Amino acid sequence: MHQKTPEIYSVELSGTKDIVKTDKGDGKEKYRGLKNNCLELKKKNHKEEFQKELHLDDHKLSNRELEEKYGTDIIMGLSSTRAAELLARDGPNSLTPPKQTPEIVKFLKQMVGGFSILLWVGAFLCWIAYGIQYSSDKSASLNNVYLGCVLGLVVILTGIFAYYQEAKSTNIMSSFNKMIPQQALVIRDSEKKTIPSEQLVVGDIVEVKGGDQIPADIRVLSSQGCRVDNSSLTGESEPQPRSSEFTHENPLETKNICFYSTTCLEVSTSPVGTVTGMVINTGDRTIIGHIASLASGVGNEKTPIAIEIEHFVHIVAGVAVSIGILFFIIAVSLKYRVLDSIIFLIGIIVANVPEGLLATVTVTLSLTAKRMAKKNCLVKNLEAVETLGSTSIICSDKTGTLTQNRMTVAHLWFDNQIFVADTSEDHSNQVFDQSSRTWASLSKIITLCNRVEFKPGQENVPIMKKAVIGDASETALLKFSEVILGDVMEIRKRNRKVAEIPFNSTNKFQLSIHETDDPHDKRLLMVMKGAPERILEKCSTIMINGEEHPLDKSTAKTFHTAYMELGGLGERVLGFCHLYLPADEFPETYSFDIDAMNFPTSSLCFVGLLSMLDPPRSTVPDAVTKCRSAGIKVIMVTGDHPITAKAIAKSVGIISANSETVEDIAHRLNIAVEQVNKQDAKAAVVTGMELKDMSSEQLDEILANYQEIVFARTSPQQKLIIVEGCQRQDAVVAVTGDGVNDSPALKKADIGIAMGIAGSDAAKNAADMVLLDDNFASIITGVEEGRLIFDNLKKTIAYTLTKNIAELCPFLIYIIVGLPLPIGTITILFIDLGTDIIPSIALAYEKAESDIMNRKPRHKKKDRLVNQPLAVYSYLHIGLMQALGAFLVYFTVYAQEGFLPCTLMNLRVEWEKDYVNDLEDSYGQEWTKYQREYLEWTGYTAFFVGILVQQIADLIIRKTRRNSIFQQGLFRNKVIWVGIASQIIIGLILSYGLGSVTALSFTMLRAQYWFVAVPHAILIWVYDEVRKLFIRLYPGSWWDKNMYY
Amino acid sequence: MVIQKEKKSCGQVVEEWKEFVWNPRTHQFMGRTGTSWAFILLFYLVFYGFLTAMFTLTMWVMLQTVSDHTPKYQDRLAIPGLMIRPKTENLDVIVNVSDTESWYQHVQKLNKFLEPYNDSIQAQKNDVCRPGRYYEQPDNGVLNYPKRACQFNRTQLGNCSGIGDPTHYGYSTGQPCVFIKMNRVINFYAGANQSMNVTCAGKRDEDAENLGNFVMFPANGNIDLMYFPYYGKKFHVNYTQPLVAVKFLNVTPNVEVNVECRINAANIATDDERDKFAGRVAFKLRINKT
Repeated sequence: MHQKTPEIYSVELSGTKDIVKTDKGDGKEKYRGLKNNCLELKKKNHKEEFQKELHLDDHKLSNRELEEKYGTDIIMGLSSTRAAELLARDGPNSLTPPKQTPEIVKFLKQMVGGFSILLWVGAFLCWIAYGIQYSSDKSASLNNVYLGCVLGLVVILTGIFAYYQEAKSTNIMSSFNKMIPQQALVIRDSEKKTIPSEQLVVGDIVEVKGGDQIPADIRVLSSQGCRVDNSSLTGESEPQPRSSEFTHENPLETKNICFYSTTCLEVSTSPVGTVTGMVINTGDRTIIGHIASLASGVGNEKTPIAIEIEHFVHIVAGVAVSIGILFFIIAVSLKYRVLDSIIFLIGIIVANVPEGLLATVTVTLSLTAKRMAKKNCLVKNLEAVETLGSTSIICSDKTGTLTQNRMTVAHLWFDNQIFVADTSEDHSNQVFDQSSRTWASLSKIITLCNRVEFKPGQENVPIMKKAVIGDASETALLKFSEVILGDVMEIRKRNRKVAEIPFNSTNKFQLSIHETDDPHDKRLLMVMKGAPERILEKCSTIMINGEEHPLDKSTAKTFHTAYMELGGLGERVLGFCHLYLPADEFPETYSFDIDAMNFPTSSLCFVGLLSMLDPPRSTVPDAVTKCRSAGIKVIMVTGDHPITAKAIAKSVGIISANSETVEDIAHRLNIAVEQVNKQDAKAAVVTGMELKDMSSEQLDEILANYQEIVFARTSPQQKLIIVEGCQRQDAVVAVTGDGVNDSPALKKADIGIAMGIAGSDAAKNAADMVLLDDNFASIITGVEEGRLIFDNLKKTIAYTLTKNIAELCPFLIYIIVGLPLPIGTITILFIDLGTDIIPSIALAYEKAESDIMNRKPRHKKKDRLVNQPLAVYSYLHIGLMQALGAFLVYFTVYAQEGFLPCTLMNLRVEWEKDYVNDLEDSYGQEWTKYQREYLEWTGYTAFFVGILVQQIADLIIRKTRRNSIFQQGLFRNKVIWVGIASQIIIGLILSYGLGSVTALSFTMLRAQYWFVAVPHAILIWVYDEVRKLFIRLYPGSWWDKNMYY
Repeated sequence: MVIQKEKKSCGQVVEEWKEFVWNPRTHQFMGRTGTSWAFILLFYLVFYGFLTAMFTLTMWVMLQTVSDHTPKYQDRLAIPGLMIRPKTENLDVIVNVSDTESWYQHVQKLNKFLEPYNDSIQAQKNDVCRPGRYYEQPDNGVLNYPKRACQFNRTQLGNCSGIGDPTHYGYSTGQPCVFIKMNRVINFYAGANQSMNVTCAGKRDEDAENLGNFVMFPANGNIDLMYFPYYGKKFHVNYTQPLVAVKFLNVTPNVEVNVECRINAANIATDDERDKFAGRVAFKLRINKT
């Protein structure tokens, strides 16, 4: 019976081999791929979960055997005590949420990540320096201890800040996780009880109504006309019938098992209106639970922006450490004491590390995340904000993502003509010819031969959004007729139903008999719909332009052509016919017996065909075009049938109008598929079955060679393999999906995008981003924002790096030339964490310089966030200019107080001696230590102001990288001016407000010193304008290559 | 899933480096071709040349704003500091009477320091001024240059002058002389037209006890007004700074004594909290005798 293959984990295990033998239809193929893929997965990582096995043979057992197996009774249910025992044993019936990193680990990561290590080193060096001082002189000043503490504090504060930002964005998500607790109707102690579905245990007998979610994996015991929506599990948009019969060896295919979290769409109201089933698996042991665990087994990869930031941290840390060590060696060889050399080292590290930058990046990302949330893109993981911008391949699920996930009337065929129906979300624009009398007859059949109704109490809901209980195609027909004809219920009331035969799979038709609404016409109208070929068989005439014509060979041929054409579009086609029963034979009082069929069911009049499909969302084609022009390849990956998938792909533009697949070419040229030159085909449709036999090299080849690809009938594991294949092409892959079957791929993708409304919780959990409005077009917004943030982060980093040189030079000059220290470590921290923070955030509000949606996505290995030109231009061009400007202010202050530049050279040693209280300046005046110290602080303040003034210019030039500032508009980004104002205000407060606090080493600076660096600031602006001008004038030139960052 | 890191072998890394340093195919040295290097070097030559010129220019403009003779601002020098000679590490005057070397360096420093005060030099270079009033030499529209300075003769320092002194300013006998001087500040009218003097005392009571008696030269530690104002190094070429010598006669030996000297002048505050040397000087005196 059940075949044990212990080395394999897979959901369809039991009877895998049997399926291979028994499978006929392609519909069953999708699960076969699982086996091989699982083996492949297993080879790659020996995760325990993959070795778990699913024993599922309950579908083969009889009711009695089931009762025995689970120790339950179908009529009485479990006893409460037994249920409690089982609950204690198995745990609640809910999916274990994915393992979360403990908060403390997240927090500690922030403490040691990025520049933190470097700053910790600085702090420890400070304490070591104090230790050395203390050992030689017990009264050593505590300055170094304080500085160490400040550095530690900086790390901790920025760490807390980043942690808080992360936590905040995660919190938005947690609201999603709180699901409304579901209730289940269960029989226990022979009583019907409503309990939360978490408390279900195996062996429970549950009753499910139409519209309910299946509360666990259940084996159907009794049901009538039950259909379930498995789309979230398999991607099939068509409802699947369920009954108590064992129909297939494969538990996923058999009709007598319903799966946890799928929806029961309808149940026949007679005799009981419920499905009774026995719970056979709960919680993580359900099929859904297994797929979810497959998703959690997939490791998260670093986001592209995280890689970029790491790269940037490496560059900066590399510069800091190498300059630090170089100057440590120089200092030691210049006969400085080791203690002094250590202090230099601290200064160099602090000057080199942009302490505030990582916090700024976090803020910038969360600002974008907020902006995107407003546009219905909810970002779970902050770093994912940028990922969408660098995305080069989008693997999109079909059902629910590209399509509306509801059957809709797409085409009509009557009067020998195919009409197109409006399939947009609101059906508002039905343009086909409604004047024909054939249409009048057809519409009557559509309206009357339909059993579904709107749920009551929805008067104000738009028609297309009204809830309906019942079959998807009937629903589609109901809504279609309601939109065109108005109140369907009213029409049905006027045409009282006399008798009906509901749809069943043997008849393949549905029939009902009505009185007509014409009071003078005493005839009864019989209307019928069903599989087109069955309907045609029953017809002898066909209605054309309202006239009945005999059904001859030529009309039958046109019918077949139309049927094939619509079927070829992947649509589900229904035929409609009617017959007016002669009034004399069938008076109003005639008693119809639906079992005996005491009425004619042949020689009817064929009226028309109607085809339905799950139509694409109206915004999708446009979005796909935009993706194309943005250089993003859109690939469809679906569990649905290839024909449907291809039809949808064509209608949304994933396969563009003029491109053909190999099969298309073969069909057009009437040659065998093998003979077609594969180079001619732009598009490819690959099924899961084909995929299963492919090596990864072949998959790579397909992904690389075809521009337009559709994968159909794929299993969750195959989706994973496709995503990996794309990632092997060095692509940044986005996966969109809503179903549970998408969740492993969502997790594996560089960015997983789940649908917020239609999406299952498993999908939302695995995703990095949630589209709140389920609108594929929101992805475009995401791409745009992501690209913009990448550009703007470049600007922010360039802005922040620039001043590092201006902060670093003082220490180098101090060591080599022996000037009194131009800027203190604390002052540097005030720039990095004070004046520069708001301006660098303000750059995040900068508008794009050109149409960012018309360029290719960045290459994740070539287009770096921090590239060589950026570092060189910031450090060696603008940074150096800034340093010179700041030195000018510094020299001015000293010169005007009495120390001319030439006097300052090599003054350091005497200057810093505590006991030298009569140091002579350039004019012969003598200075005490404290007087000098105050002057030194004034120098710090002056240097600080010098950097500040030039950072304003730096901020303005960083608004653009290529365009002139005047093209970009100096005042368009108001936040920049807020940044500049904040810079100046903080500077003023530090100098004039806190000037008297000695520990901060700021002094009140004379007003005119604020303007000394202005010429240098202007020079910076002019120089950058010249740079940009040459870049625009000579694209691709030497200048462009070296100066464009 | 599995993070596939492309591990490069050591050889590959070396190879890549080699290719980076010199790529024979593209003739690239460190990632650039010869012309590219030439361009970049030329560019930086020009660019840095320009920056240097710009900086020099702005510095030159800035230096035009300061005068040769007097600094633009003197706000930090409102209170002149006091300082002692000999200038010792941490201002500790330690005299081991028996160990000549311990104090002889001080003596040498003092000899050198007092040389310009020799009467012969003073008489040759400086004027005899009227005591008790400032020796003002205003410019009156025309640069009055160089300015004259008043004599401060070494003999005014009496027993501490060191002239023909076998005790070497008292260092050999454990009665050392310490010289107090006030920091020069341009155009500072010390004392505000009233006489001023320097006084010394032990910092705490026990210091006062251990300090014992001392004598000051000139008497009372007076500093005459005629040495002010100071007109700066350029103008006041031969300016001789007035001194006050303190000779400690019987300091308790083998004890560290904290001495504080301050100036008593109408316009010099000596109680600045932060600047411990504003108008005062504190030093440690220790006479080691066996």
